[in-house]
Amino acid sequence: MDETRTKNRILDLRNFSVDYGWGDGAVRAVDNVTMHVDRSTVVGIAGESGSGKSTLIYGFTRLLRAPGVIAGGEALFNLSDASASEGNFINLVTATESEMRRVRWSNISIVLQSALSALNPVLRVRAQFDQVLKTHRPHMSKSQRRDRTIELLALVGLNEDRLRRYPHELSGGQRQRVMIALALTLNPSLVVMDEPTTALDVVTQREIIGKLAELRSQFGFAMIFITHDLSLLVELADEIVVMYAGTVVERAPAQTLYDSPRHPYTLGLLSSFPPMHGARTELTGIPGSPPDLSDMPGGCRFHPRCPYAMERCARETPPLAQVTNESRSVACWLHAGDEDAAVPVELRRVGVERHPPLGAENAEGET
Amino acid sequence: MKVDEVGTAQLQARHLTRLFTTRTPGRLFNANRIVRAVDDVSLDLVAGEVVAVVGESGSGKSVLARMLARIVRPTSGDVILQGVHIARRTKRTLDYSSQVQLVLQDPFASMNPVHRIRHNLERPLLIHGAKKTDVERLAQAALTRVSLEPPGRFLDRYPHELSGGQLQRVSIARALCVEPKVLLADEPISMLDVSVRLGVLNLLRGLCDDDQLAILYITHDIASARYIADEVIVMYAGQVVEQSRGSVLVDQPTHPYTRLLIASVPNHSDPPSASPSSNEQIQTAIAEEGCRFAPRCASVMDRCRVEAPPQFVVGENHTSRCWLYADCPPLEVEVTLSKHLREGDTTKT
Repeated sequence: MDETRTKNRILDLRNFSVDYGWGDGAVRAVDNVTMHVDRSTVVGIAGESGSGKSTLIYGFTRLLRAPGVIAGGEALFNLSDASASEGNFINLVTATESEMRRVRWSNISIVLQSALSALNPVLRVRAQFDQVLKTHRPHMSKSQRRDRTIELLALVGLNEDRLRRYPHELSGGQRQRVMIALALTLNPSLVVMDEPTTALDVVTQREIIGKLAELRSQFGFAMIFITHDLSLLVELADEIVVMYAGTVVERAPAQTLYDSPRHPYTLGLLSSFPPMHGARTELTGIPGSPPDLSDMPGGCRFHPRCPYAMERCARETPPLAQVTNESRSVACWLHAGDEDAAVPVELRRVGVERHPPLGAENAEGET
Repeated sequence: MKVDEVGTAQLQARHLTRLFTTRTPGRLFNANRIVRAVDDVSLDLVAGEVVAVVGESGSGKSVLARMLARIVRPTSGDVILQGVHIARRTKRTLDYSSQVQLVLQDPFASMNPVHRIRHNLERPLLIHGAKKTDVERLAQAALTRVSLEPPGRFLDRYPHELSGGQLQRVSIARALCVEPKVLLADEPISMLDVSVRLGVLNLLRGLCDDDQLAILYITHDIASARYIADEVIVMYAGQVVEQSRGSVLVDQPTHPYTRLLIASVPNHSDPPSASPSSNEQIQTAIAEEGCRFAPRCASVMDRCRVEAPPQFVVGENHTSRCWLYADCPPLEVEVTLSKHLREGDTTKT
């Protein structure tokens, strides 16, 4: 345990589980998730709705509402800053409410999918920042707060005249920029993003993602980025965690995961997006629909939808095992931790076809 | 006129325009501004073809679909259903909606949540005059058509008991059960899970191929338009900026806006970068004069700021509304593109 308590680890989730409901009626939404986030890295969590990705982050940030309960595990969070010689960890699962209040926003902040419902609709943009600063930085004067707010808005590319606007007067992209600025108000070391761009259209999404990458290199915060769009994560994330039905099914460095997915579900997700290049061929996606949490299939939870399912898959649950000699893990009997196992050819090949850059014609997208 | 033949225009739009009046926030007087939500759009929906309309939010694509469904009245322009002009001022009639059906983005919001699927499916059937004794059979047939099998299992469920993908199929089944010739699908997959999106797209493509439906597919995802469509239309600020048969427009984009859209699609081979228009002031600007895209355009010229470009024919079955192609012949105003396209098609075959 101690060897992982290094100063560069920001968050360490161990066997983290979340239930909805109690006793016999309990449904396990997040099941034994173990993952970690290092300082200044971006970890992407991909999965469909119902895969438990949002429940996971509401769990360790202690924002779960009843009937959601943390059923087990620990969430160790590093309170020390980058210059400290060793980590100072707090277990978010057992922390008291007053401890949590100190951690929230100052150390961990969160950006939600729907900025319109996350912002207070009856307060002007300026007042939303004021609330945070008054609470967490009581020594700041009114003009200091105003200066800080203008500085933050400028960071996300918003003009000063937005201060007096109400949330409903802003466009979707502008609201999400305000949310990001709010999340950065107190210089947190970890920013959690729950599908921040899902409600936006592609051009705005591209701008927000570009802005996030820029801000991260400027301030060096770590980020957990949740989305169902794997191709977006490949661009942004250092490491990708793929979740299915509450469990982690694959974890790998972003490019590795994109080039050579190991879990059939990851392959399915990657091939669910129609390509922008190459021949137009019929794609199938993943047959069936995600399982009902209260009626989970036995064995591997993906086996009823899996084209490679074997007899063993219905009986035994595959563990999340490290692939030999690689910094990646996969929970699938096809691999069983052995890189040389008899893996179907689709999973072995390198690359969903590499997209050639669009070339000179595309110059304005890159300048 | 035989209506079920391949290539017959089922629904045509001619110079459709819709204006909205807005008030500038914070100003009480003399601040009314006219927004041209849809500006002179013409298109043909043809039996057995999918026409995709691609654009950002605010490009007017949904208003276009609602005008075609006759939920929003056009300010000017014509809607022609199977060769018959539909008077602009008349309300939507039962007859019209039995031919043209709309499928919306959010299946949970478009179903009555307190009634079972059976009720949601049978109601349109009864309204459209099906016999009470037949409705169950027809509802089952509609569910089978969208691959929800066995249909009996779904009829007695409530909307909340189904997944988003299943419910979107139900909502397509509901549109199909009155046997329309035209299906208008407004962002049918954007609320769905990634893994079931392709299933719904393939279903729409199948309905188009097997049952000769004419489909309008509205989306902001240009990749899915490329995947499914026979014709792709890109809209910006209410105008058609680029239009082509098949995926020509995606493979060889000519309009700077189309290029911006394509460059914005997540693609791991481009490193993430702040795009040229990351200043939000420019981003939301729509020019009142000249080309509407000029404030955001990377290849903007002096001419663009003063003179609005017409649609130029830049290639076979391919038009672009941009002064960069001023050497190409402009699209004839009277001949709409789709007609032009079909003539192109027949000369090809």
